[in-house]
Amino acid sequence: MANRTSLGLAIVIMLLSAHGIYSAHEWPLKAKLFPLVIAIPLFFLAAAEALWVIFGKSPTASASDFKLSEDQPAEVARRRTLLATGWAIGFFVLILLLGFPIAVAAMVFAYLTVQGKEGWIFSVVFTAAVWFFFYGLFELLLHMHFPDGWLFGGFGGF
Amino acid sequence: MLDAFIQGLLLVLQWKAFVFMLAGIFVGFWVGLLPGLGGATTLALMLPFIYNMQPVEAFAFLLGMHSVVATTGDITSILFGVPGEATTAAIILDGHAMAKRGEAGRALGAALASSFVGALIGAAALALAIPIVRPLVLTFGSPELFMLAIVGLAFIASLSAQGARGMVRGFLAGGLGLFLAMVGQDPQAGVARYTLDTLYLWQGLDLVPVLVGLFAIPEIIDLVVRGTSIAGNAPAGRISKGVFEGVKDVFRNWWLTVRCGLIGTFIGLTPGLGGAVAQWMAYGHATQSARTAEERKGFGQGDVRGVIGPGAACNSKEGGALIPTIAFGVPGGASMAILLGGFFLLGLVPGPDMLTKHLPVTFSLVWTIVIANIITVVACFLLLNRLTALTNVQGHLLVPVVLVLVFIGSYTSNSSYADILVSLIFGALGYFMVVAGWPRATLVLGLVLGKIAENYLYISVARYDFAWLGRPVVVVLLIIAVGVILFPAVQAWRSRRAHG
Repeated sequence: MANRTSLGLAIVIMLLSAHGIYSAHEWPLKAKLFPLVIAIPLFFLAAAEALWVIFGKSPTASASDFKLSEDQPAEVARRRTLLATGWAIGFFVLILLLGFPIAVAAMVFAYLTVQGKEGWIFSVVFTAAVWFFFYGLFELLLHMHFPDGWLFGGFGGF
Repeated sequence: MLDAFIQGLLLVLQWKAFVFMLAGIFVGFWVGLLPGLGGATTLALMLPFIYNMQPVEAFAFLLGMHSVVATTGDITSILFGVPGEATTAAIILDGHAMAKRGEAGRALGAALASSFVGALIGAAALALAIPIVRPLVLTFGSPELFMLAIVGLAFIASLSAQGARGMVRGFLAGGLGLFLAMVGQDPQAGVARYTLDTLYLWQGLDLVPVLVGLFAIPEIIDLVVRGTSIAGNAPAGRISKGVFEGVKDVFRNWWLTVRCGLIGTFIGLTPGLGGAVAQWMAYGHATQSARTAEERKGFGQGDVRGVIGPGAACNSKEGGALIPTIAFGVPGGASMAILLGGFFLLGLVPGPDMLTKHLPVTFSLVWTIVIANIITVVACFLLLNRLTALTNVQGHLLVPVVLVLVFIGSYTSNSSYADILVSLIFGALGYFMVVAGWPRATLVLGLVLGKIAENYLYISVARYDFAWLGRPVVVVLLIIAVGVILFPAVQAWRSRRAHG
């Protein structure tokens, strides 16, 4: 899994840097100097990593970074990862469609009842607490402007 | 001089100035805790309130607020893996790993103690540097600043170096960060580079949504996968118990704390580099304190030195950043630029006057940093039990709240939905990097340093052609960069030789 992901990342970086070199081609020297200085070695480093994954026999190097937990069986981990991704993307779509104030309440309530299997009363109270914190701090105190959702007020916010 | 020093303290302790400082600390405390709401933004929001204040009261308020933001930002980073501030992302790597191991108390104790020591170092540097700072800052021109950026990158790339392959990945991630830093309008020719024909990308990628996505989204996914609280199955009583162990860790690693504090001060003092660089440089230095490759592997898995280093650097940079701001009117970063605006609003002109006529006011800034940090650290220690208890809250209660904070935190940077999209994209990138074992720290540093490095490189070439490569400080910095890159290889070779 780690090697395949590393290969994928290396290929994406190769494509990005190739695009970077190609695009820089048309720019004046002032604008293209740094992109070329960075993108050319980046392309070759990514190619080296890709070749290392394909032909190399050395064990995968690990970074000084956090590791994903391995307590769950691979299948469960994959399913839950997709679920978490779904919730994050779903929340973003809700924000676009309904606007922040409604989306916050809807997402927190839905997550608690569907994913957390919490009871209705607890979910309503918890959602209300989160919503009032959000509304009190960002709307009332900091006067932040949150545009209406696309369903209510057009296509603002981008 | 001593008179002015004592007078500065008395000025801060005047009841009105002290009350304003407490108000500033209160605001800064919460701003630091909330992801996305940055210290610089809040400074800007608070600027209109200082019109009717005396200079000492205004700076007690503004600086009191600003100097605690990084300290409380560490708390969010450690407990939830979400950077409370752009300048507190490095502490996540080991701090949050400790929280997940049930050692949130120890991590917070170490972070708070090192932050406090760092703040004292920064304040002391500010006090001591006032008479000698001029020749030091003037030694650094564009070529030296460019090389300093390169040393920073070399530091971080080398921390990911467990073997040649680790080094390649470190440089790949750093290169990707530098490449992404070029997104937006080019500062020299005005060409829109890699903007995908969107107006949003003309100003480049904002650091906050990138950081929030890169660090928080993989943590949220991991929390959902584990299906437990952040601290997992660690006994509830143990979590807050290690607080004083964390404080002791700082004294056990005293010289590391001091060195990282000095790194932070130096980066703060250098105009244009900023706090986001200081923390990573300090983290890089902390990893290099590992004596063996085995020991180095512990970094990222919850080594307390990975908390102490960035913790000390993050707060010491404030004192350092004030030096050029006060002495020359050259702000060290965005926050200092806003603070400079405060100077002008109050009718003070940074420069020689601040070192002669207004010296007590200058020393009152030093005292504000010290006193604000003492108050914050005490307040944090009092609240620590309640804060660490949050790591025992079940994941399904935390995930929606953290997700809300992540999305709002991203959105607040430019008030654009595109910020959230950027967070999601970098969240996916961060997740894949973690899966593949690529270091995220190098990418962030590349992104932070990219624009700075390009600017300084361009000015260096335009001003000196290639003669800048022969400047003595540039040569010294180049040797340091090469040394930093070769250090892990030499260490591995020595370790192999020692084991026959």
